[in-house]
Amino acid sequence: MSEQRYKLHPISALVDFVKGLKDLIIPVLILFFANGFNVKMNPGDGSFWTNLIPLGILLLVILIGLINGIIKWWTYVYWFEENELRVEYGLLVKKKRYIPFDRIQSFNYKEGIFHRVFGLVQVMVETAGGTNGKPEVILTAITKDAANQIERVTRKRNVDEREPELQDDAPLSVEEVPKSSRVIHKMNTKELIILATTSSSMGVVIAGVGAVLSQFAEYIPFDWIFEEVSHFIKFGFILVILASVVSLLFTWVVAVIITFINYYDFTVIEENERLTVTRGLLEKKRVTIPLNRIQAIKIVENPLRQIFGFAAVAVESASGGFGGEEKKITIFPLIRKKHLYGPLQDLFPQLEWQQTLTKPPKKAKPFFYRIDFIWLIPAIALCSYFWFPYGMLSVLIFIPVILIGLWQFKTTGFAINGNQLTICYRIFSRVTFVVEKKRIQAMERRQTYFQKRKEIATVQVTVMSGLTGASAKVSNLESKDAVVVTDWFEKSTLNQ
Amino acid sequence: MREQLMHQIPRKGLTVWRLYGVFNTFVVVILMGVASFLTYYFEWPSFIYYIAFVLLLIVALTSIWLFPKIRWDHWRYEVREHEIEIQSGLFIVKRTLIPMVRVQHVDTSQGPILKKYDLANISISTAATTHVIPMLVTNDADSLRARISILARVAEDDV
Repeated sequence: MSEQRYKLHPISALVDFVKGLKDLIIPVLILFFANGFNVKMNPGDGSFWTNLIPLGILLLVILIGLINGIIKWWTYVYWFEENELRVEYGLLVKKKRYIPFDRIQSFNYKEGIFHRVFGLVQVMVETAGGTNGKPEVILTAITKDAANQIERVTRKRNVDEREPELQDDAPLSVEEVPKSSRVIHKMNTKELIILATTSSSMGVVIAGVGAVLSQFAEYIPFDWIFEEVSHFIKFGFILVILASVVSLLFTWVVAVIITFINYYDFTVIEENERLTVTRGLLEKKRVTIPLNRIQAIKIVENPLRQIFGFAAVAVESASGGFGGEEKKITIFPLIRKKHLYGPLQDLFPQLEWQQTLTKPPKKAKPFFYRIDFIWLIPAIALCSYFWFPYGMLSVLIFIPVILIGLWQFKTTGFAINGNQLTICYRIFSRVTFVVEKKRIQAMERRQTYFQKRKEIATVQVTVMSGLTGASAKVSNLESKDAVVVTDWFEKSTLNQ
Repeated sequence: MREQLMHQIPRKGLTVWRLYGVFNTFVVVILMGVASFLTYYFEWPSFIYYIAFVLLLIVALTSIWLFPKIRWDHWRYEVREHEIEIQSGLFIVKRTLIPMVRVQHVDTSQGPILKKYDLANISISTAATTHVIPMLVTNDADSLRARISILARVAEDDV
């Protein structure tokens, strides 16, 4: 057994330092804002030295950060021993962490700008447990060869160890058939642009711009009509329109740039029962999910994308996502709906994708919007009271609320197919939630007093995902149907 | 809904809930006292007194009498060989089904008030969720915890 100890690349000290700096930015900004920017640079001034104190503290903190980074790099070693990945670091307080190979779920890679210059990579070792949703071990910067070596060593042991004793644990049928990799999905430039254009953040930006514009629209006529400078109005109007077009264009460009930085070269590869997602322009990220750790699949269509026939697909995974920040991992950020089922069928042959849903009954319709009235009525009453004549117009808000409710009603449904449960629901985006029986952690059927009277019930399922779990619910089903779902779930446990 | 679940929360549990309601009301009494005092001191309109009083009455009625009763009526649970089923809720009656296979661990907990009444809460955790059965007689809670842990151990885990 090779017990050679490996060190990180010296750059890791720098990377850690820069990361520390990033965390500092906000406190520093707050500090400056609190000071009102009036740091006087005049040594003659009496308060000069007291003004320097925060700056000195800042410098000290930065220095400590730098030294910390260097110490961490200096002391950080990892090695393989007794089928464990062992990591040790720290000068005064030594930290040791030993991870058995077969507990390692996946290796996720991240390449920042520094990494790319030196051909390095940051490796995050994910286990099932994970502390606070963070990866168990982060190797800040190692060469790609070293990363491959780690993966090779741990994988090999993993297979050697597991196969003989755990035959029933099918998922790891890796054996010695390496590199059966195939590309499942790859995004081209056109798709990236569509992704940016239809992203919900774009919608938010448009709404924001719209809100600002409506403010303008309110002011311009009232103030200027009285001054009777009509050509000014026209001018102002054109200006507003021009400004709105420019700002729209601007937000669009920003959205495109952000999307490119995040999703450039988005590739999904299936290899040895593992799904690998690579993405990023400046910072390359690679996430690996073992297929058998996938708890549920979510197909999301936001209204804009639904119109154009696009959808996004994310999986809920039991281990953390990109360094634990996200528990949901997007595998197809944007895909034509008609091209969607092919690759999904490919990846999850045990699941059925197109099926007829059991819908909530007609009598359930009001339940989708009635609940909103509870807060709407007081809100409208208040509006009407305070802005008397015009405030009454807030009654109109009932229309969109009811329409959305009806839309939700139209979308909602479920289907049971063998061991698979499909749930369709909508908040704004239409979500199709597909889960296997064995992945469901708990199921809940609930009824309010009013639902009970109409014999309607809501069913909610929860699966494991990251730390907290993810849930989906079908609202306002016929009671009988709701019982069908819970019964289906109950049977599972009896037959096991 | 189908047939009722077997077990109910012991009667003492209702008493404890009412006790919590009393504490709740105390807090509101203090708040309303402060409001009334301010009203008196700054000579605000007197309808504030009435509002405070009515609010207090409502809080007292609901949190001491009505809510505990409804909640106690709704609470039901059953621990079967393969699953745990819990019914709970105040306005929304929820019925939760947890397969034994999914149970990761079971805790019992007991605060000073519960201890005085010889009651304990039992909470059942899965990989994603935690479910609580409150106000069980301590002995029952302990034996239930032991039973669930045995049943859960029998069912093999595959998450």
